[in-house]
Amino acid sequence: MNKPLLALALVFGIATVASVQAQTPAAASPAPAINDAQIAHIAYTAGVIDIAAAKQALQKSHNKDVRAFAEEMARDHAAVNEQALALVKKLGVTPQDNPTSQSLSKNAAAELKTLAALKGSAFDKAYVDNEVAYHKAVNGALRSTLIPSAQNAELKSLLETGLKLFQSHQAHAEHLAQSLN
Amino acid sequence: MLRMTILLAGLLALAGGIAPASASSTAKPPATAAHRMHVIVIDQMQYGPMPTDVRAGDIIEWTNHDILEHSATARDGHFDVDLKPGTSGRITATAGTFAFFCKFHPTMTGTVVVK
Repeated sequence: MNKPLLALALVFGIATVASVQAQTPAAASPAPAINDAQIAHIAYTAGVIDIAAAKQALQKSHNKDVRAFAEEMARDHAAVNEQALALVKKLGVTPQDNPTSQSLSKNAAAELKTLAALKGSAFDKAYVDNEVAYHKAVNGALRSTLIPSAQNAELKSLLETGLKLFQSHQAHAEHLAQSLN
Repeated sequence: MLRMTILLAGLLALAGGIAPASASSTAKPPATAAHRMHVIVIDQMQYGPMPTDVRAGDIIEWTNHDILEHSATARDGHFDVDLKPGTSGRITATAGTFAFFCKFHPTMTGTVVVK
């Protein structure tokens, strides 16, 4: 199980971006640890990852509640990513790949592989437990790093809306995880 | 011509008077002294404050300010109002206490008391 790794990867990835930024010459005002193009990429990647996990769950799970949760994840993250794409297009920003996005994708691929080997209630429990951990990690990153670092007001607002949404997802996942125990 | 206008106006008034509350309409209901409209705003994955002093026959309207689709779905199956982003939906209140939730986000819940 790579829940702690996932959380660490998220924090480490952001720290890596910050480190790269810190090596640039000092400016009159301190540059943010990550720029808006990188933030947009991270947020979008986080959504894509959860949609992929949801699609896997919809293929493998027969549990009504787990399937309803997965449908919620696929629908909501697609809607948020659609908004994010519309916003970056409007702002003329090209999302920029970065170590955080890469770490997220790498860990998510490993998690998908782990879950693919499970069946039945073992899969359901592992999927939902991972969703709890994943939303905790993403919400923590949004709260402590991504939202404070966002420079554009509209991007910051979308991230804040996303945080509320993902906190609701986390609550749903935690409730579901309890019911599966 | 005048007769035709009066006839048309009468038909429109009749249609408006008997039309059931629409789940997708955003038009304001006719303002009458007897029945009031109570709006519950959905924002940031939450139902706003629940209206108080709701009486049977009043209109309850949900307005979705979120970027996601929501619903106001009665626990007892009495109503199920779908709310696309940026839209409103309404019901005509009947006496009782009714609990509702969002069928897409079950952590969103609310309860309205109708006298």
